[in-house]
Amino acid sequence: MDIVGAYPTFYVPYIGSAWMMGIIGVIHVLASHTSVGASFLFAILESKAYRDEQPQLLDFIRRYGVFLLVFSYVIGSITGPGIWYAITVASPRGVSGLIHNFVWVWATEWIYFTVEVIGVYALVYLIGKIDPLTHLKLTWSFALASWATMLLIVGILSFMMWPGNEAWYETGSTNDAFYNLNFFAHLGIRTGSMLVMAVVVGFIVASGMKDTDLKVSVMRLLAPIGVVGGFFAVMMFLYYLQTLPNNALIMLRSHLLPRYADGMIAVFVATTVYLLVGWARPQLVKPPLAIALFLFLATIGVWPEERMRESMRKPYVVGQYIYGNQVISRDAPGKGVLGEVDVIAEKGLLALHPFVPDRLRSVTDENRLEVGELLTKIACSNCHSLEPGAPLRSLPDKFHGSKDKDLIAAFLEGPLKHGAIPYMPRIDLPAAEVDAIASYLANPGDDRRPASTIAISPSDSKEN
Amino acid sequence: MTLGAILNAMRDPAGVPGAPGLFEALFVGTWVFHIAFVLLTLGACALAVAGFLLRERSAHWMRLSTSMTGVAKIGVSLLIVLGVAPLLFTQVIYDPQWYASNVLSASWALGFIATLIVGYCLWFAFYSKNEEAAKRPVVLYAVAALAIFLFDGLIMHALIYQSLLPERWMDWYAPGGVVDTSGARLHAIQWSRYLFIISLSAPAVGLFLLAYADYFATRSDIDPAYLTFARTLGRKVCVFGSPVSLMLLLWWMSDLPSDSRLVAHPLGWLLAISLAALAWLVATKSAPGRGYALLASGVALLLLLSAWREVIRVAVLAPLGYSIDDYKVNVDWPSAILFATTLVGVGGLVGGFYLTVCYQAGRVRGLYTAGVGVARLSSAAVAILIVWIATFFTYGAAIWVKNVFLP
Repeated sequence: MDIVGAYPTFYVPYIGSAWMMGIIGVIHVLASHTSVGASFLFAILESKAYRDEQPQLLDFIRRYGVFLLVFSYVIGSITGPGIWYAITVASPRGVSGLIHNFVWVWATEWIYFTVEVIGVYALVYLIGKIDPLTHLKLTWSFALASWATMLLIVGILSFMMWPGNEAWYETGSTNDAFYNLNFFAHLGIRTGSMLVMAVVVGFIVASGMKDTDLKVSVMRLLAPIGVVGGFFAVMMFLYYLQTLPNNALIMLRSHLLPRYADGMIAVFVATTVYLLVGWARPQLVKPPLAIALFLFLATIGVWPEERMRESMRKPYVVGQYIYGNQVISRDAPGKGVLGEVDVIAEKGLLALHPFVPDRLRSVTDENRLEVGELLTKIACSNCHSLEPGAPLRSLPDKFHGSKDKDLIAAFLEGPLKHGAIPYMPRIDLPAAEVDAIASYLANPGDDRRPASTIAISPSDSKEN
Repeated sequence: MTLGAILNAMRDPAGVPGAPGLFEALFVGTWVFHIAFVLLTLGACALAVAGFLLRERSAHWMRLSTSMTGVAKIGVSLLIVLGVAPLLFTQVIYDPQWYASNVLSASWALGFIATLIVGYCLWFAFYSKNEEAAKRPVVLYAVAALAIFLFDGLIMHALIYQSLLPERWMDWYAPGGVVDTSGARLHAIQWSRYLFIISLSAPAVGLFLLAYADYFATRSDIDPAYLTFARTLGRKVCVFGSPVSLMLLLWWMSDLPSDSRLVAHPLGWLLAISLAALAWLVATKSAPGRGYALLASGVALLLLLSAWREVIRVAVLAPLGYSIDDYKVNVDWPSAILFATTLVGVGGLVGGFYLTVCYQAGRVRGLYTAGVGVARLSSAAVAILIVWIATFFTYGAAIWVKNVFLP
């Protein structure tokens, strides 16, 4: 191997490209889960309207549907490709790996997307314009098609965590990749969550309705669905934890749960209480409260959830065979994929990476810091920001602002070279490249502390 | 490292899960639907603005503005979702080019998403305010949205054009040998190509208006004079817009790499002749009742355009040693069958049901009651989804159990 198939590097100072992905991802998750969950609420409400001859329930569906058109089908449908763009620029080889394993699955999902977009317009604008039974079938088919999009994407997302066994590496079959160990657990979490989000958004819509009787009847119908959905999501989350790889569990126990567990419990408790209040005393739910609860769920619930899901995968981005830094970590014989770590250790990134300017291919006294910066961006910046005090696992902060090149080099030549830290990639580089990185990180361009004051405590940085 | 070796090394090592030619065909084919809605949307936006500004001339302009505002609103939704497919398929066979170009202008790729959201929200604001009593400044929402849509089109164009220039990537990434990881610049724009494609929005919306007039001809509650107005306007927009597009196409052809011999390629000239022929057809044969046929001929022209883009891509990349034909293939039959059966079953029955009921309901004044055929179609749509989901879980559970318990 004379070239590794790497791409140029995109780096966003301070927050890194990972946060860009996270921000877009959270918006999309909120919009898409609400949309899928709402489709089932519509189907249930419309079935009741049809069976019990309560056409006024359709007014709520129309109102919620118009809201969805803007919230989910404007913001949600744009942020969907938006995540794709964000992953593309942050982890091009990662997204390429997914595409080349799952293109037919994604194409299948696209069929559902197309059907869904036509369906939502038909559903909203044909209320009262076509006969009720045909509309009811339209609504149910829309709900099932919407859920199908979730069924299809969850298999891909859960493969990103890991296949869970050796089958896919040996066969290369999409079957083995898609129906991975944590697929059903992951699907359960998202299915429960979508109902909660849809009910919470439904409360925003219902709380603003002037027809009190309709508001009460709708909220009493929706609230138990949200409560059951939330309980189901939590149960499936506990099951999900049993299906995670070791590196994820270590990351979870040592870094993530200490930071996020309280918030997650608070979200569950607060949302459950809120839904129960909405069930018992719907008139107490006013728009400001409904909006506040939604924002609480988004910021304290969904944002940490997305960050945790991203962090738990570390050091991988796809199927435990592509590292976050775009290096292929192991062989996957079923697809003819070869690991690159050893060849990089032998020849170095400077020789193998196609996007290194010729003047930086050899380390000299003049270019050492520049080479070090480039190598650090290539090898580390997918997971770490390079600025002191930055929120994305700041690398200078990880070294406690050390100016001690030997200390940094010892870390690179020790745990990192041998892959001894479960949630970090094995980065084994030739001595000259290690020296360049250590020189760059120790470069006293800022006010870093001397080595003598350092006590290693990895949880010190803002995000782990 | 030669450029060809680099490009081939950047391919995904997992290979493609089917014949590369099949993905190429899907890429070319699905792009047609995407660009059709892009052009329709841009044309509808422009007419919505024009109609708003000219509403004092006649009630027809106001009505047209309202109608085109709705068309553009739905058009954006559809162009986004229909854009997913070509985006997907191009990444299968042209992954090195697409990813490299995106990373090199990463800030713009992300900015595309943010601005598209802003543009679409502005359009929704215009949609909600565009009524007879609306004050004139309301149109600024639409003008801003249209400007953003055109700007987003330019970003997409640049990302695609940059992917055709791999010999310049390193100069863009490290000008003077100094690496720039900001992705903060758009590096290359081919104005002739961009303007030609954008200009097709005039004939596109013109053809749409011809079909629109035919579609609503059965509605007794719609003033026939308005439909005549729409048809006449559509004809004019198409007939006067097509020559402009033709000029821009000739500019683009003259702008192609001189050593590629693309300027003599028959497909490019076929596209030019087709454009002229379409304008002639519309000028002379656009009597009522022919709107759908003319609209279909417009779609056929877009298929030529899509194929022409691919011809250019192949011609430009071949001298560098890149051909999709030698991409490693690892056929994956289960997922390919999943796609094919879903396309036929779900796409056909569910998509067919939605489109049929929308089409039928729109042609009826008042409540539409489904006939026997549509009722059966609606039941079949629900049934096929239940079958699909049941199969998905049964099949998946069997694989999951095999891999987890019987490895």
